[in-house]
Amino acid sequence: MLELRNLQKVYPGPVAALSGVSLEVPVGMFGLLGPNGAGKTTLMRIVAGLLEPTAGQVILDGEDVTEAPQKIWSRLGYLPQEFGFYPHLTGEAMLRHLLELKGVSSPQGMKKLVAGLLERVNLGFAAKRKVKAYSGGMRQRLGLAQAIAGNPRLIIVDEPTAGLDPEERFRFYRLLAELAAERIVILSTHIVEDVSVLCSRFAVIRAGKVVALISPAQARALIAGRIYQGRVDNPSDLEEVLRTRWVTQSILVEGRNQVRIFEPETGAPAGFAAVEATLEDAYFVLMRGDVPAEVLR
Amino acid sequence: MSLRRLSLVARADLAFHLRRPLTWILVVIVVLSVWMLASGFLRIQSGDSAVGGTKAWITSEFAVAQVTCFLVALLYSFFVAVAAGMAVIQDDERKVGEILHATPLTAWEYVFGKVAGILVCFLAVLVIHQLAAGIANHLLPNDKADEIRGPFSIAAYVIPTLAFGVPPILFLTFTTFAVGLRFRKPILVFVIPVAFLLGCAFFLWDWSPTWLSPKWNRVLMAIEPFGFRWLNETHLKVDRGVEFYNKASIPFDALFVWSRAAIVAIGAAALAAATRHFARTMRGTAGAKRARGIVAPPAAAPVLTRPLRDLAMRSGVPALLTGARDVARVELRELRNAPGLYLFVPLILLQTIGANWTDLGPFGTLLLATPGTLAVRMMNTLTLLVCLLLLFYTAESHQRERSTGFASIYDATPVRTGSILLGKSVANAVLAVVILVACFLGCVVVMLFQGKVPIRIGPFALVWGLLLFPTFLFWAGFVLAAASIARNRYATYGIGLIALIATGWVQAKGKMNWVFNWNLWSATTWTDMGPFELSRRALVMNRLFAVTAAVFFIAVAARFYGRREADPIRIVHAFRPRALWRTALSLAPWALVPTVLASALGVQVGRGYQSKAMEKKAHDYWKQNLATWKDAPQPEIVDVVLDLKLDPEKSSFHSKGTFRLSNHNDRPLKRFALTGSPFWSDVTWTLDGAECKPENRTGLYAFVPPAPIAPGDAVTVGFEFDGSVPKGTNKNGGGLEEFILPAGVVLTSFSSTFVPIVGYDETWGIEEDKNRYEPRVYPDDFYEGRTEAAFGSGSAFTARVTISGPEAYRYNSVGILESDKVENGTRTVVWSTDRKVRFFNVVAGKWAVKQGDGTAVYYNPSHTYNIDDMALALQGARTYYAQWFQPYPWKELKLSQFPGLATYAQGFPTNITFSESIGFLTREETTGNAAFSITAHEAAHQWWGNMVLPGKGPGGNLISEGMSHFSTILLIDQVKGLSPRIEFCKRIEERYGEFRQVDSEKAMVKIDGSKPGDTTVTYDKMGWVMWMLLQQMGRDEILRGLHDFQTAYGENPDHPVLQDLVAFLRPYAADPVAYDAFVKQWFFEVAVPEYALDKGAKAKDGAAWTATATVTNKGAATMPLVLAAVKGERFDDKGVATKDYADARETITLAKGETKTVTIRCSFEPERIVVDPDAVVLQLNRKNALVKL
Repeated sequence: MLELRNLQKVYPGPVAALSGVSLEVPVGMFGLLGPNGAGKTTLMRIVAGLLEPTAGQVILDGEDVTEAPQKIWSRLGYLPQEFGFYPHLTGEAMLRHLLELKGVSSPQGMKKLVAGLLERVNLGFAAKRKVKAYSGGMRQRLGLAQAIAGNPRLIIVDEPTAGLDPEERFRFYRLLAELAAERIVILSTHIVEDVSVLCSRFAVIRAGKVVALISPAQARALIAGRIYQGRVDNPSDLEEVLRTRWVTQSILVEGRNQVRIFEPETGAPAGFAAVEATLEDAYFVLMRGDVPAEVLR
Repeated sequence: MSLRRLSLVARADLAFHLRRPLTWILVVIVVLSVWMLASGFLRIQSGDSAVGGTKAWITSEFAVAQVTCFLVALLYSFFVAVAAGMAVIQDDERKVGEILHATPLTAWEYVFGKVAGILVCFLAVLVIHQLAAGIANHLLPNDKADEIRGPFSIAAYVIPTLAFGVPPILFLTFTTFAVGLRFRKPILVFVIPVAFLLGCAFFLWDWSPTWLSPKWNRVLMAIEPFGFRWLNETHLKVDRGVEFYNKASIPFDALFVWSRAAIVAIGAAALAAATRHFARTMRGTAGAKRARGIVAPPAAAPVLTRPLRDLAMRSGVPALLTGARDVARVELRELRNAPGLYLFVPLILLQTIGANWTDLGPFGTLLLATPGTLAVRMMNTLTLLVCLLLLFYTAESHQRERSTGFASIYDATPVRTGSILLGKSVANAVLAVVILVACFLGCVVVMLFQGKVPIRIGPFALVWGLLLFPTFLFWAGFVLAAASIARNRYATYGIGLIALIATGWVQAKGKMNWVFNWNLWSATTWTDMGPFELSRRALVMNRLFAVTAAVFFIAVAARFYGRREADPIRIVHAFRPRALWRTALSLAPWALVPTVLASALGVQVGRGYQSKAMEKKAHDYWKQNLATWKDAPQPEIVDVVLDLKLDPEKSSFHSKGTFRLSNHNDRPLKRFALTGSPFWSDVTWTLDGAECKPENRTGLYAFVPPAPIAPGDAVTVGFEFDGSVPKGTNKNGGGLEEFILPAGVVLTSFSSTFVPIVGYDETWGIEEDKNRYEPRVYPDDFYEGRTEAAFGSGSAFTARVTISGPEAYRYNSVGILESDKVENGTRTVVWSTDRKVRFFNVVAGKWAVKQGDGTAVYYNPSHTYNIDDMALALQGARTYYAQWFQPYPWKELKLSQFPGLATYAQGFPTNITFSESIGFLTREETTGNAAFSITAHEAAHQWWGNMVLPGKGPGGNLISEGMSHFSTILLIDQVKGLSPRIEFCKRIEERYGEFRQVDSEKAMVKIDGSKPGDTTVTYDKMGWVMWMLLQQMGRDEILRGLHDFQTAYGENPDHPVLQDLVAFLRPYAADPVAYDAFVKQWFFEVAVPEYALDKGAKAKDGAAWTATATVTNKGAATMPLVLAAVKGERFDDKGVATKDYADARETITLAKGETKTVTIRCSFEPERIVVDPDAVVLQLNRKNALVKL
């Protein structure tokens, strides 16, 4: 169990990046969903022991690791949002170096271990190439490989699927699902689909605060039966809808504006029909600061 | 090109550079430097150092130019390199390139804009620098202000800024920016200032051997980027007089102007080339090479893979050493890829070979390089280079994870922080090892070229392994700690550079001591006869301190190493007393050992012979005794009996003996004084056999005999004491004039080291800036009547010296060897004088001996290189000086070698002593006579200095030193031949030209050794003038005169000075009128000719040729001058006359400022006209006195 107790982070300014975040994360996949600048990466870096919190505690399996980050590093697999590698090393050498730094070993030996990990992230073909020649997606997969190496108790992946094509994303989902069976995996993302596919529970974080701690099904149930979808052709009508309604989505479909709204009380407006609520709808509703709590059931 | 966009970039970069701490660190350092230099620490070497004499101003254009050169080279170069060279690299790291270059901004606008911003910033710093200099020079309180400040002139600051400040800053900005832009590797950027610093400070600024042709000298002046070589060689080296330097504007010549323009142009060209390349590649290179870098994925890869659990992975925490090994491995790979190493290695190779091949020793002779001397000689260069490299590599290594973006993964791994630091340090240590290996290879090359000295690794391992490596450990630890605390590469550079500059400043001011000399700069002296015996304990403690301090710094680095970004609010809390105390306590155990060592070392220094306590004792001696005893009449020694027991292992001795003192004054002596030494203990005295307790006046013992000593009567003073030489440790390394060490012993009666000296010691307790008084001004006729002796005992005395010590040593003193016995491991020798002497010495060593006919050379068995030449000189001296001057009155003439802890040679009667670096380790040039000439000079002192002891007063010491140089010329001419004699004369003439001080040089009869330029007049000019006098008088005549002079003054209580000599020789001159004119010009005036030739031409005249040229005497003396139209080279490399040479001669006489046209008829086609081909006229700038036809 990973416990976060009242974590706060204030930067000079002052800027409150985290305003008292408290969470309990059991074994399994846990999502952290929020927009850019919500504080997800700050929270992840604090948990990973790379950033000192202003206040609060991080407790892993009953042990307070806040002031002794080295205690968490031996049990951590971490894939940050932004990272790089030594450009002159090959992928194989870079991964091996990381495995050595993490104290990872295997009965088959390091060479086979490195090859096996690279194969699992589909980088076996590029093992002998220098990292500086890797594409962005390949670097992401190399990062994944080092994050899942060893036998970490806690895995933190921050925006892991950025730069991955759908096949790679699917491979990644399978790897994480396998890992989450026996360990704590925190997936921090702003891609709702990742959470809906992988996570049994997730937290929504906005402006440094947790605004919801919920499962995908519970999130959908909050707004079930109150999501309506319609088409708005007129730009001024669209403006009016955006201004007066709780819009969860507004996209162009075949050249026409398709809008989904959350309408808790009055029923479907003209031109709109009820549709099944998605996790994305729930996310947008939860992210809006202006929806009264009593409206959400 | 859009000026608007360019100026946008320039403004942005200027704002950045003006905000960054590194810029302001430079401003602070520069301002502090000019403030400290305003004290007059760095001045043009000209002027009269006497009280009231005209001094060189610190406010003159020349002075400001000199300071500007040094500060730009030493300070600006690194800061400019970092700012300019890293500008584009920094943008890469910030990843702004993608966005910037997706705008209409062109490569040229980008580059020129950034360069403009950097230039404005550093030129602004230069302006602040000169403003600060102006304020400091003219307004800061300064007790020497009246002497060293001239009137304010804005030109004095503007012109040096434009000439010596702006061009190198432009050049450095352009080149380092170009390197950073083209290669994007920080370490390459740092190569440039390091290469320039090494090349200039250790080579270009002061390497100017006599054989360097004017053409190549001008080439070197042109390529030196800071302009100092040009300034020095053209204007400073040959003293033009303080009036010139104080008031004249620097006369720039075409070479300087064009070379500055060329240097800037080269920098601009490099920048343009780099910018062109950048423009081509910044939006992707068209070409296969780049394309090959893209890795194509396979056509299809399986989505479903085997389960992870099949890999059976386990994780743990790597052990300290395992982690360090892994880190080091990767760091070394990065180092291998860094091109800087491949540039520094040839740089250090060239530096090693160049510096050591041309290293000059005493008397301007080239030195043989032995393994130990090379290892020590290279320490300063290696220290500077490796410390700079370690600064840059450590900072970059510390930064590497952040700059590559790897830090967020790296810092979250369980590898220990200690492993990271250790691994990186080990990798950087390999860098130091590579540099040392390169330097060692350079040293091997030097020794192979020499072909004389066997190559041994031992001294290198000892010096570089035990002495140098702790320096690197200390420095690397310090930089690591700085990087960990600062967490910013530029702040780390700033801290490192400040530390280096501060250390250098303290060294330059002479305030360094063992406790703080972490880099052992110039602190070690090598002797092949026993390394590091002099300061061994202090050296060991200093090195232990360096190593333990390194451990402390690493502990600090580990404590502050930032794997986790600190919370700003918690940082504030960390400065609370409790938190600070906790931090201090956690680091205290690591600081304990270095603190104890530093304290113990400080105590050692505080108790040593160069401590403040010793300085106070010396001062008290001076204060208490000067007025009473300085001119008090004293008795003279007539007999010495001494029993000296030596213990070289303990540097101690026991001295017991008697002085028979006779009153040679015309009045009774009621009291007399003997000066002892603070290094004595358990001192007891007797007077005529009875115990005596003289008054101890801080080391001067005042005796009051029961009855006054009547004129002609004598008393016997007995003394017995223990002593140590040296006593304790010195302040900061270096050498020592007299010592008792396992490597050897050298003691002289000139000081009260092992025997008292009679009377007051005028040299003790004198401090340069505090109480050094100017010498007495003698009336012109001071020498008439009896003149007392300049040194030693006025009257000669007999001496019997018994020396005992370990059997392995031989012990030499003056006189003849009466007995030499060995018993129970102790050797006891007795030396007694076969003819009276005026001073004596004791020297001991584990020697081999080369015997001659009445001569012997005692030398270290490994120093056989020049023994034959030295023995030849000794034998020649004994033979020919005896013929020319006086028969040699003693039985044997010995020459004994002592360890090179002091670099002097002394001609004691029958027992000449030479430092190992004089003669024994002189490297022979191909026209070789270096070892020979030094030996000939010292041997001549048997006649000039012993048999004739010069008088006290102006012109006295020239009888000793100048006549010895003249004797050397004669002996080289006699034994070696014409070419070596010409070379020797030219060499000492060059030395005179280089070291004379135009403003303070007095006539030779007035030379009293008090001015810096007096030494070259005493030795070189006097030797030359006597050589010219020989030409003038005739050889037989002058030698007859000198022979009779020796007879007249040999046993004379009236000791001669120069006036006596010239008066004595006059009757021997065939033409007294000409003699008088010569003597007046050369002995009583200061006048030296300087010849310039111009308009050289040749024409065929029937079967013959005529060569013409105009000759001008730019100097002051009038001399008959031979001009020769020559063809071919007169002598080959070995000094043998060549067959192709021919010359035809004419003689003219030119007065001061006079010009004449000379025509010389030749039977051959001449190539050039030279002056004075036989080197018989002393002149300035001889190298320039020729014209090609």
